[in-house]
Amino acid sequence: MDRRKLRELSFFLSPMLLMVFLFYLIPLVMTVYISMTRMRNWNVERYLTDFVGLYNYHRLFYMFQHDPTFKAVIMTTIIFVGITLIINVFGGLALALATFFIDEKSASFYRLLWLLPRMSPIAVYSLVWYYFFHGSEIGTLNSFLMHLGLISQPIPWGQIVPWGAWSVIIFVNGLVGVSFGMVVFTSALNQIPKELVIAARVDGASSWQISRRILIPMMRWHLLYVLTWQFLSLLTTYPHLFLLVEWDLVNRDYGTTLALYVFNTAFGRGEQDQGLAAAAAVILSVIGIIGGFVTLKVLKFERMMKKPRGDF
Amino acid sequence: MRSAALWLVALVVFGVVASGCIGGEKAEKSSTEVQLTGDFTKDVISIGKALEQNGVKEVKFSAWGSGDPNSIMRVYGIVEAARRINKVWADNGINVKIVITDTHYVASFQDAYKEYLSKQPLGQAGDFFVNSYAFLPTLADEGYILDITDYAKAYQSVIDDFYPSLIKAAEYNGKLYGLPQDTEARPLYVRKDVAKKIGLDLNGLDEKVKKGEFTWSDVYYWAKKAKDEGVVEWGLIHRKGSAHPDLIQFIFAFGGELYDEKTGKLVLDVPAVYKWLYVEWKFARDGLLPKDIMSWDWAKQIHPTVVEGKTLFDIGGTWYWTEWQTKQYYHGRALKPEEVKEWFYYTLFPAGEKGDKPVTLSQPFVWMINSKAGQQNPKYDELKNLYHELAFLVVVKASDPDINAIHSVISAHLPVRKEAAKLIKDEKWLNDLKNLNLDLDQKVKDNIKDIVKATVNPINAQFLADVSYMLEYTHLAPAHPKYPALADIFKEAVDKVLRGEMTPEKAVDYIIQKVKADPELAQNVEIKGEVPKDWKFPQG
Repeated sequence: MDRRKLRELSFFLSPMLLMVFLFYLIPLVMTVYISMTRMRNWNVERYLTDFVGLYNYHRLFYMFQHDPTFKAVIMTTIIFVGITLIINVFGGLALALATFFIDEKSASFYRLLWLLPRMSPIAVYSLVWYYFFHGSEIGTLNSFLMHLGLISQPIPWGQIVPWGAWSVIIFVNGLVGVSFGMVVFTSALNQIPKELVIAARVDGASSWQISRRILIPMMRWHLLYVLTWQFLSLLTTYPHLFLLVEWDLVNRDYGTTLALYVFNTAFGRGEQDQGLAAAAAVILSVIGIIGGFVTLKVLKFERMMKKPRGDF
Repeated sequence: MRSAALWLVALVVFGVVASGCIGGEKAEKSSTEVQLTGDFTKDVISIGKALEQNGVKEVKFSAWGSGDPNSIMRVYGIVEAARRINKVWADNGINVKIVITDTHYVASFQDAYKEYLSKQPLGQAGDFFVNSYAFLPTLADEGYILDITDYAKAYQSVIDDFYPSLIKAAEYNGKLYGLPQDTEARPLYVRKDVAKKIGLDLNGLDEKVKKGEFTWSDVYYWAKKAKDEGVVEWGLIHRKGSAHPDLIQFIFAFGGELYDEKTGKLVLDVPAVYKWLYVEWKFARDGLLPKDIMSWDWAKQIHPTVVEGKTLFDIGGTWYWTEWQTKQYYHGRALKPEEVKEWFYYTLFPAGEKGDKPVTLSQPFVWMINSKAGQQNPKYDELKNLYHELAFLVVVKASDPDINAIHSVISAHLPVRKEAAKLIKDEKWLNDLKNLNLDLDQKVKDNIKDIVKATVNPINAQFLADVSYMLEYTHLAPAHPKYPALADIFKEAVDKVLRGEMTPEKAVDYIIQKVKADPELAQNVEIKGEVPKDWKFPQG
């Protein structure tokens, strides 16, 4: 590479490199460093140089091994991430396809409705579902079913373990996440040349055939993106879960995922243990990286990256 | 002669220069530091003058507080104190003024603590912070609050007027880090009309409880009778959560301990904890206590169930007394003071079993001063001591008996000073408070007028006087940084036994496993004793 080209490349790449350095690399290095200190109670002045090596990792793994509720946490994480991911990706895809085939005005209104959970403040949104699923007669669902005479006693939905608790957390988070896929897939659908759809219609293809044979194959990139993104975000999300567990709507053990578990361990018990939290964050990041890598491998990302044949 | 004269001149010159130097230093010192004398007015004037000399005309402070809706004097007490200090300065021609820029008041004291913890290092936390004494050790340890030991020495007479146990709660490692703001007791409320229907004689019940003759087995007996006879839906309702450590009263009521002063460690007293969990389990299994009480809603379930007479017993707090009068828990309206008096009897938390003692639990709130107090003001580095001394005097003023008494009456917390305790028995003063005919800041009056209207009356004052004796039986939850973690585990265990997910024995094992799972918690908790064999509840 000659010097001129290098200069040009540096010029165009430097803003991005700077961003990556400032907002990705430095925080990453800092997180790893803090995980090896006794940092707590936000007292940077006192603990920044209090180096303890791998102590926080030892402590965390010891808890993983000995905490009687940890098994439930792992099960909950697998079920929660797995099922919510399917709902988010395929629900988003279904919504995007459904709105693709109806007139634009109704489609926009419908999409807006599905964006509401995403737009509502987390506390307000969680509170709505808190009262909806509340395990006594003050819960909307229980009250409704009792009025209809379908049940005589209120059902403590979130406290039925494990599936009651899992269903509530999956439902609440699923509704939030589904709009993300919907937006991405809708924009992807709008990029597909209309001629292809019209031609298929002329040939007598049904909406299902158009979706399966034309639209979905042309959205592989977007599917991959939504799947990977949602997987990582579900693995690390906890705000809604935190509130539902904190308000005792769902069972603590089967409403707690790994992300919430590490948050509670580090911050939830009166102590603000940033060293331990950083160690947990590093572990979560490693799991996320491995998970992301596996997703890309499974979905054959490399094949998609190959140069198209014959276009040059 | 000539040389002697020269020596004399040199000596005079040296003397003048030296005195100038010393005098100069003194003048410098006097303008940035004031020695507190214990004479409040004199000290306020000295600090005011020193600030004026340094060109400061306005001192900005902010007050952070938290708690139930009736406890807003936790921040407005500071506003009123500032007004009183400003008046002293104005009367003495000193052109300086304290301005309280922010009165930040939130419901959850735990959230308030977390916010303070994260914002203090950044210099964004309140200058005054009122919160549970339980957080004081951590805040003191991290250097986030001011050590006021030396300042307080000058004000020993004020300190002596506080109840000694409460001053002790504001100390850490032998140093004083705040002044008590309020405390409370947690009575066992008994619904009078229900008691009458089932033949429970309440005359002298408090005495029987005091003597340990009426125990938790009796509570069980009457709760069951009330339920079996169809008079109530529940026999007992209690509070939920681990932030409010009410339920640990069972540990003390069964003669257990939670903290070992000698080792400085928390204690997991296995026999007492087992008995506590057994009582909870038994009440829930027999349908006397809702098995899902830990997920009940405060405003829609817990309080309405109690005030609507659907339970015979309720483990609550003294502040319930006025909360029921200001919040609409009773069929969409608040109770009248006469109704609260007519419907509720109150006594200590009974002894666990014969031979044990009755108890109550207090969680004193303490006014703490940010170690960076005053930093939003000019020349902070230079005048830091003056700002800190002034902040201390603000807290001293906010502890004035009348301010403390107002807080006690309107929020049904117990006074922390003997003088305040006298005031709440003074009918004339109570009448003046009811009419807000007191010398108070207009902002304070505006903010408390609705609460005053609903709560200030002889019935409430009498209630406070009646429950004050409970402080003699009080226990404090341990002020240990690891206590919240242990309390959280207790809460989980109680929830599991209530729901029937675990037997009391299994729940004790669960607590032990959880404690041992965290090496740091395990180091700080001593596990004592074993699950008692053949223990029965209810007894005889």
